[in-house]
Amino acid sequence: MTPVEWAIVALALLGAFFGGVAAIGIVRLPDIYTRAHAASKSDTLGAVLTIGAVAFALQSDLSTVKSIFLIVFMFITNPTAAHAIARAAADQDIEPWTKEDDS
Amino acid sequence: MTVRNTVAYVVDRGIELAADRPVELHFVDVARTRAVDPDAQAELGAASDLLDRIELWVEEDTGGETPENLTVITDVIGANQYLFSPSDYADVLLEYADDKDIDRIVLDPEYSPGGSVPMLRPLEFELARDDVEIEQAPVDRPTEQTVLARAASFRKYLTVFGASYLFYMLLSSWKPIDFATGFLTAALVAVLLAPIAFSEQPSFGRIGKQTIRMLIYAPYLLKEIAVANLQIAYVVLHPDLPIDPEVVELRAAVWGDAAVTTLANSITLTPGTLTVSVTDRSFSIHSLTAGAREDLFEGGLERAVRFVFYGRDAAAIATPRERGDDGGHSDG
Repeated sequence: MTPVEWAIVALALLGAFFGGVAAIGIVRLPDIYTRAHAASKSDTLGAVLTIGAVAFALQSDLSTVKSIFLIVFMFITNPTAAHAIARAAADQDIEPWTKEDDS
Repeated sequence: MTVRNTVAYVVDRGIELAADRPVELHFVDVARTRAVDPDAQAELGAASDLLDRIELWVEEDTGGETPENLTVITDVIGANQYLFSPSDYADVLLEYADDKDIDRIVLDPEYSPGGSVPMLRPLEFELARDDVEIEQAPVDRPTEQTVLARAASFRKYLTVFGASYLFYMLLSSWKPIDFATGFLTAALVAVLLAPIAFSEQPSFGRIGKQTIRMLIYAPYLLKEIAVANLQIAYVVLHPDLPIDPEVVELRAAVWGDAAVTTLANSITLTPGTLTVSVTDRSFSIHSLTAGAREDLFEGGLERAVRFVFYGRDAAAIATPRERGDDGGHSDG
């Protein structure tokens, strides 16, 4: 395997790992706000790493440029969406879960 | 523009009072300086233009001759300071008022030095700490302007058109037909979106500088994102789920829609913090762990965002912690 292929595999695996973390986080975390954390951060990185793997794999100028634009737009839109969800929750007076709620 | 009516109101009151005693009317504009901004000169020019117009209006309202007891003074203040919060503006105004023995401050109801970030109410609140009387001029606002769409200048159309055309061509195959379709698409985009694309007149120099600084910012942000994700992965996969969520308030020292949005999104992307809502410049942030809160108030991100939008000098402003903001305890 060439170094580029190693990079593709590594990026894809890392992307899958963080995608998995996002999914597990959404199941395990207690409330909408904490779940939004998992959805906004891990999910973004997972998707971005996977698209990075795609950029390497395609190896054509145009598709690589397009992949990079996709990454940029994910970085802009994902946190915005998470913010919209969290704010919608706050507007409906949903109280954030705290440690005390655990007992 | 309610400034015209505010001036009329002030002059009316002045003439009324001048019947009994000498009255000085001071019209001041607090310079929206960012001493580091390339636009500082233009801003100061705009401020003195406004004051010139006010002088003309005063002449109009007094019928050409000012009553004996009435003195009119105009001034630009705060030009050599970096002002970033309502309390800074209040400091400058109160200092001036103190200096000149002023007993009443009238604010224009549309005064908004923070761009589209509303600042009148916090400013009024800050001014109230002194015993000067504060009031908003009781003038009618024409109609509530829609915040989104503004009359677009030719330069805005050109900027939006250029950016869309460039973007289109970047993704195209550079055939002659692409130049034609790209032109049409960019024209359509410019016509539809230019009125909502910028909140301020775009300046090519500033956009260029901000782009370069954004490129410096990107690796830093990527590093922060990587660290953030490792922490989240650790927390989520840990058998005990060691989280300690809390909502904190951060009063960030950034101005303007683009800077506030960038900071809000950066906060969401980085260690255990999620922007829940933004009012004025007060960020309501949900944090997942105590460590995340620490990082937030160290202000690294905030500083980096200031660097991107205002340059290196602005990055040196104190961190939220040094400004006495430790979150949670502030009353917003």
